Amino acid sequence: MSFGFIESAVFALLVIGMIGAGVGVVLLNRITGAALLMAFTFLCNAGMFVLLGAETIAAFQVLIYVGAITVLILYGVMFTPQRDRPYALFFQRQTPLAALAVVPIALFAIVAAVVSFSFRDNPDAPRGSDLVPLATSVFRDFAFPFEVASVLLLAAMVGAIVLVKREEDS
Amino acid sequence: MVTLTTFAEQGPLPLGPFGLDPAVWAVLRLVIAVALAAGLVFNGALAQIYLERKIQAIIQDRTGPFHVGPWGLLQTFADAIKLLGKEDIRATLTDHWFFLAAPSIVFAPMLASFVVIPFAPGVMGADLNIGLLYLTTLGSMTVLGIVLAGWASNNKYSLIGGLRSAGQLISYEVPQILSLVTVVLVVGSLSLTKIVDAQPGFQINAVVIPLAFVTYFISGLAETNRVPFDLPEAESELVAGFLTEYSGMRWGLFFVAEYGEVTVVSSIVTALWFGGWHGPLTDVHPVIGPVIGVLWFTLKTYFFVLVFMWIRATLPRFRIDQLMSFCWKLLIPVTIVNLMVTAALVLAFPGSLVPVAIANWVLLGLFGASIPFLQRRRLVGLRARLAAREHAVA
Repeated sequence: MSFGFIESAVFALLVIGMIGAGVGVVLLNRITGAALLMAFTFLCNAGMFVLLGAETIAAFQVLIYVGAITVLILYGVMFTPQRDRPYALFFQRQTPLAALAVVPIALFAIVAAVVSFSFRDNPDAPRGSDLVPLATSVFRDFAFPFEVASVLLLAAMVGAIVLVKREEDS
Repeated sequence: MVTLTTFAEQGPLPLGPFGLDPAVWAVLRLVIAVALAAGLVFNGALAQIYLERKIQAIIQDRTGPFHVGPWGLLQTFADAIKLLGKEDIRATLTDHWFFLAAPSIVFAPMLASFVVIPFAPGVMGADLNIGLLYLTTLGSMTVLGIVLAGWASNNKYSLIGGLRSAGQLISYEVPQILSLVTVVLVVGSLSLTKIVDAQPGFQINAVVIPLAFVTYFISGLAETNRVPFDLPEAESELVAGFLTEYSGMRWGLFFVAEYGEVTVVSSIVTALWFGGWHGPLTDVHPVIGPVIGVLWFTLKTYFFVLVFMWIRATLPRFRIDQLMSFCWKLLIPVTIVNLMVTAALVLAFPGSLVPVAIANWVLLGLFGASIPFLQRRRLVGLRARLAAREHAVA
């Protein structure tokens, strides 16, 4: 008896969870439920990272997306006044058009993935929980893009605060 | 062809002891580990509730529980049986699925934290290289469950409790993580085993970086929703906040999760600042040594659990604006300064912790000395505002 099958089984469960929850996020009419299912998708995503041996990224995924962003979204949802609204939003009438656009692209992506990609295991690559290579790449090799990204986030935050302030004044 | 790395390829399977098949042992090991963690959490909660009631009774000059069993020792068992036997009540207008999911979303991450807690050398679920990050990650998931519980109860007080908790937990996560990072800077690893190994004898981190310990302990109090930071469940103003609509064992799960988190925070404090399993007699024997290590770890952890209870019986509750301004205006600046000073000194004097220790003690002294000063400034401001209001009324 070997454990080779466990990894495939976990992979299958994660994929089912991720796609199912993703579909739920799009189709659910209740926005709190959609937010929670989104958290579930993030969790499944973190599981994928663990499966690929990138535990650090998985931990950050859960820390940032499940712990912080989902809570902020829930916060936003709960503070938004909710009126009764028609079941089908106006853009949901475009479902057939959307399906026409999505299906060929999805088919193409699947075929391309099956034909060309292969996740080869590179024994020399640093393992996911190895923090030193991660730190060197973030703070030395890619320090400039990292700083630029943080400045961008800072600008976004300042912008959000300015927007809210203006609303309060008027 | 898609080939993923299998865990089996990463190393040989653990060979089963007692002549068991490795395949059977792997499953059995999982079951034993989960059962041990669950047993630890539930029994720990029972013991801690008893301790809490007794200690509060001693501090408030009462007797505390004494009817059931010797010294009332069986009181919490009776309470647990009562909770399990209660009818499962759910109000009609609650949000069914979220209402059911919230207790488990709070409980599960707390249970999973026990995987990396280093009880003794070799006595831990998994020695993760990113153990500390893993613990922080799980700690941040609790917020989701509490917010959901508040929302799903469909009740104003519960919702206020849930939203307060979201604000509080997200705010206090910042100083908490910054204090942890200070330890990581000094030790140079996120693995809890290495952090414990780095502090043999009296060279514990509490001596080297006491300020980080103080800030972590304060934010740990806030993260576990304990007094003086128990605003989300404030009984006297919010009728127990997000817990209002819960009863029976669902309510019990929230409480078990709270006590489990107190245990987790106390064991993080023990492992990071107080030398974990180190203590006298830990290397007498290859088998007995780890047992004594577990004993030391448990004793130190329960000492901090007792400090949590002592604080609960001593301090009044914060107001929500005091809570937020304490975090953002005092705790976060202090931890940032501490982190930067520590980082600079670790870079400037590699191999010696004395400068870091001196700087940290000085900062701690300043932190302590600034509190009366800040208090006086706050009082002056309050009096000025009062005088202005009286003036306006007159």
